[in-house]
Amino acid sequence: MNPADQASELELITQARAGNAEAWGELYRRFAPAIFRFCRRAMHTREDAEDATMDIFIKVRQKLSQFDSSRPFSAWLYTVAANHCWDLLRRRKGRQDLETGEIENMPLEHPDPGQLEQLIEKSTSQEVRRALDQLPSRARMALVLRYYADMSYDDVAATLGVRRAFVGVVLLRARHQLREILGGRGVVAGGTS
Amino acid sequence: MIHFDEMACLLYLEGQLEPARAREMALHVGECGECSTLLRALERESHVLSAALTEDNEAMPARLLSTRSWGVPSWVWTLAFGVFAFGAYWLWADSVDPWLQRLSNAGFGGTDFVSMLLFSGAFWEGWSYMIDVLQVVAVVLVGVAAVGLLRRRVRRPTAIAVIMSVLALALAVPQRAAATEFRREESVLVPATEVIHSDLIVSGASVRVDGTVEGDLIAFSGTLTVTGHVTGDIIAFAGQMRMEGTVDGNIRVISHSLSVDGTVAKNVAFIGSTFDLTERGQVGGSLITINTDADLDGHIHRDLLGLISRTSLDGGLGGQMMVRGKSLRIGATGEIGGRATFRGSRKPVIASGAKLASPLQIMSEEENRRELFEAIRVMIHEIIGFGVALLLGILLVMVLPGFFHATLRETGRIGAPIGVGALALLTGIFLLALGILLMFVGVGAGVAGVLAYAPILYVAQIFVGAWLGNKILGEASSTTGAVIMRIALGLVILHAAGLIPFLGGLIWLTVGLWGAGAVLLGFYRMSRADEIVALPA
Repeated sequence: MNPADQASELELITQARAGNAEAWGELYRRFAPAIFRFCRRAMHTREDAEDATMDIFIKVRQKLSQFDSSRPFSAWLYTVAANHCWDLLRRRKGRQDLETGEIENMPLEHPDPGQLEQLIEKSTSQEVRRALDQLPSRARMALVLRYYADMSYDDVAATLGVRRAFVGVVLLRARHQLREILGGRGVVAGGTS
Repeated sequence: MIHFDEMACLLYLEGQLEPARAREMALHVGECGECSTLLRALERESHVLSAALTEDNEAMPARLLSTRSWGVPSWVWTLAFGVFAFGAYWLWADSVDPWLQRLSNAGFGGTDFVSMLLFSGAFWEGWSYMIDVLQVVAVVLVGVAAVGLLRRRVRRPTAIAVIMSVLALALAVPQRAAATEFRREESVLVPATEVIHSDLIVSGASVRVDGTVEGDLIAFSGTLTVTGHVTGDIIAFAGQMRMEGTVDGNIRVISHSLSVDGTVAKNVAFIGSTFDLTERGQVGGSLITINTDADLDGHIHRDLLGLISRTSLDGGLGGQMMVRGKSLRIGATGEIGGRATFRGSRKPVIASGAKLASPLQIMSEEENRRELFEAIRVMIHEIIGFGVALLLGILLVMVLPGFFHATLRETGRIGAPIGVGALALLTGIFLLALGILLMFVGVGAGVAGVLAYAPILYVAQIFVGAWLGNKILGEASSTTGAVIMRIALGLVILHAAGLIPFLGGLIWLTVGLWGAGAVLLGFYRMSRADEIVALPA
């Protein structure tokens, strides 16, 4: 974002904080599509994503006074969105597929680089998204946080409530599960170690 | 050759590997084709993932395009209000009112002025006409359940509107049986032989009903005369009205004059100039009226509530009387079965033969004034209480903003602060009791505990008020003025609600427990400041 846009964004935030509905509306128009897409990737259904988007913006509007304007607004917005979606998923699933417990110690089979390249080449974006929908919540959320919201490992760890050192494991595990769905179980794995 | 594992490759790609290890890997990749291929594949996979995730393949839903769609939709409030209104009526009609009736029958006096004001006095369509409350509640509940079940699939406001329309239609079905007949002529006559099997709405210079209306009669006329039988209510806006027949329901009239020379099974509500209840006239329920002259020669089985300039009572009154006006005369044949109160400038005249269940309570002008002063005193007390609380709130916002916001956040959790507040109160009472038990040893601790709790109870209203203000005006921004405005609004509402008899006490008790619990939790959070930040900054 160029400095002029950044200044305008800060101005909008200041005005929105002071109760200016126009300014808030403009902020909403700017960021709602991205947040909706984020929710769409993180949540299981479109309806859940719509609800989550609305709730997130209501929350953001209420908590706008807590935003530290020295940091990027979008990053804060994504953090709020991530926390909200993750809370929803956690509540719904009763943590059944969210526990880190044994995953840390699960061995990950080394992929065959050639087969992996092949699989990536033949997979379309749509297929990848469909495969993402089939992932367990934690795995999907980790990939969305990292590769959509571009969050740091620290932020991913904070959102998912895991140790920072464990983020890489979660991400790699998620990639493996994604590959299994994309290529059929055991197609990719089983290469050199 | 020893290869790097996939995890190391991923961390290297994402810049998460320790510098020494990253350098080692960079050297290794230059020499190892397999690891180099794996790195490339992982990098490509990252790109594919990013592209698939960020691709804008779905349009924003229409309901999210408008910022106006935030908040609870207005139909939810309408529905909630409707359910509440039906619930309140149901509770009253099925539980409270029958009890009051029984009490009244048992000789405990018919203290049903509230009932009269709420459910008999208003000029709306008669309650008796309304469809069964249970049916309505059941249909509404089914609707709410249906909306709830469909919520996951049906999100569009139009779809919800369709569901609500179907519900409205379902509610309308029972009403179809009671269709309405309209008559509009210069002179309308319903002859004695005619039976109208529905409601009748008539307008004309002269309206006369000698026949039977099996429903409500709603009339707009210069003169209205009813000598026949109306099974429902009569609702009329007329120059003059005379009722010589039988009405099974209520009469609600705005007219210059009303004369009741027949039988009204339920209540009469009248606004106008002169009201005449003849010797033959019977009112099965109560009379509530605002008029100039009232001649009451007939019998009112329950209560009389009136703002009447001149009242003359020669008939019977089964319940209470509460009249405010200039003069009151109770003739020798006059009877009052319940408590009677008169407020007026002139001394009432009571004939020696009049039968009063209890002496007439007369409120003179001086007493009226005293009552007014008392009301003003209470009001001033409330205003001062409000002002002090607001000042304290402003001080808290300006001097201890961190504590204020932390406590306000706790207030928003509702359940937890009320629980903590109740626990703390119980503890305070326990300490006091213990203090008394242990005499001098424990009294100090007990009193100190309670004294410490008193200011917390006082500031409780500030936080509950601020919470309430936030709910009404939306969450305050960081502007101090906006926060203070919300506190002020909330405090005004709380102080106004606190004036409601009985309910006011309950409200203050809840506010006390809730706010005090929030303050205690606020203290706790402040002592662990790093946990206060609810959202990342």
